[in-house]
Amino acid sequence: MEQLRRALVPVNGDDVDIEAVQFACSVARRSKAKIYVIYVIEVKRALPLDAEITSDVARAEQILSRAERVAEEASYEVETDLLQAREVGSALVEEAAERDVDVIIMGARYKRRFGEFHLGTTVPYVLKNAPCRVWVMREAISSARSRQD
Amino acid sequence: MYIIVAGGGKVGYFLSKSLVAEGHEVLIIEKNAKKCLAIADDLGSIVMRGDACEAATLEETGAARADVIVAVTGDDEDNLVICQMAKVKYHVPRTIARINNPRNEKIFKLLGIDVTVSTTELILAHIQQEISAPDLIHLLRLRHADLEIVEARITPDARAAHRPLRDLGIPSTCAISAIIRNGKVVIPSGETCLEPEDEVIAACAPASEDALREALGTRDVPR
Amino acid sequence: MQIVILGCGRVGSTLARMLDAEGHDVTIVDQNADQFKRLGPGFRGTALIGNGIDEDTLRRAGIEQADAFAATTNGDNTNIMTAQMAKHLFHVPTVIARLYDPIREETYRVLGLETFCPTTLGASVLKEKLNKAGASAARARR
Repeated sequence: MEQLRRALVPVNGDDVDIEAVQFACSVARRSKAKIYVIYVIEVKRALPLDAEITSDVARAEQILSRAERVAEEASYEVETDLLQAREVGSALVEEAAERDVDVIIMGARYKRRFGEFHLGTTVPYVLKNAPCRVWVMREAISSARSRQD
Repeated sequence: MYIIVAGGGKVGYFLSKSLVAEGHEVLIIEKNAKKCLAIADDLGSIVMRGDACEAATLEETGAARADVIVAVTGDDEDNLVICQMAKVKYHVPRTIARINNPRNEKIFKLLGIDVTVSTTELILAHIQQEISAPDLIHLLRLRHADLEIVEARITPDARAAHRPLRDLGIPSTCAISAIIRNGKVVIPSGETCLEPEDEVIAACAPASEDALREALGTRDVPR
Repeated sequence: MQIVILGCGRVGSTLARMLDAEGHDVTIVDQNADQFKRLGPGFRGTALIGNGIDEDTLRRAGIEQADAFAATTNGDNTNIMTAQMAKHLFHVPTVIARLYDPIREETYRVLGLETFCPTTLGASVLKEKLNKAGASAARARR
């Protein structure tokens, strides 16, 4: 892979975010690449897209500052951003294209639904539609077990 | 405006595309998952999979804050129910329904649908215009105001040609709103003279259609 | 009574036979001629092929003189639309629509349409039977 210039790291508050940010920092360091950590607030159709949902914004800011702290601990600087969209997946793909990133690095939980492993909708959407590389970091099953969900 | 389009077929798709281009917030509701994906690929996340007749779907679309709902599925009964549910349960101020069987227009109006658009009738009107004397073409019917928007083309030998509007005896329940002349819109006054090949757009009460026809002299002119 | 029934499914055909046996003048309409087999050889009423959401079909079925109209197709929206046509266009004195969706049923009931919802009715009958059976089983276990 050619030199990494820009990476997009979407976060959503899962513990695996931390791993993704740490990993992104360690990879980016080699080429002093820029890291954009973004959180997407999914706005229900019942509200206009630019609605200010105070609770969601507060949570998002908390999650973004946690990512900043993780990067700080790794002695790397990241840029954070908060977006509002109808669907997280398409927002991430658009954002990746707009910022012309080389890679999206995202965490995925080990989740079960109706008794089967389930990747959700966002990760498959990004894998299918992102213009750049996508690295998905699935958490260890033991982390999911210790969370008991 | 927030516009909900029920039905992601060809009509719904192209309608939404145009509405998005005009800067409106648009949401398409479509039952078929494949169609949803195709629309999302092309127009972005402005599509939701679901049955627009179901209250749960309408709820999720935020119908309560919608300015307009347009029902353009291929089935008249579905379009009727979508508009009625939107009106009764979510108080959507304006409901527009596509009608396939022109005969259904009456019942839609009777049941409070604001605007009905019948492709069949539009095509029929065009054919009639081609084969018989030029007549009024119905562009739009506004049910709540008992008003329709009609179009008439002025032929060279029409009674109205070369005469100012004020002399034509246009019925008082009609208003000539615009004249399309060589592709440009002219906003008329009483002094404006009609010219051959003008397309006249008028707002008119359905009852005074005949009087308007007579005033414009568009009926008794054989081609 | 002169009665028009739309939809010759299980419910429509059974209703038609019952009313016919009571001596009423029944016309039943369905798009699919095969459905009329359900009526059996004894049916003396009229069976008519046609699309119910067409005024002309309804007229041919005699809706203008009908005392009652029942919409029993398996499409809720077809039933809603034809019932409203019967009520508001043809002023049939008694109009009933069978609707599977409880929410649509409630909405149109509020709008003044006589409706019947087999979903809620069936579920509550089942619940009642289960409760009763459960209670006696519990007694027996004790």
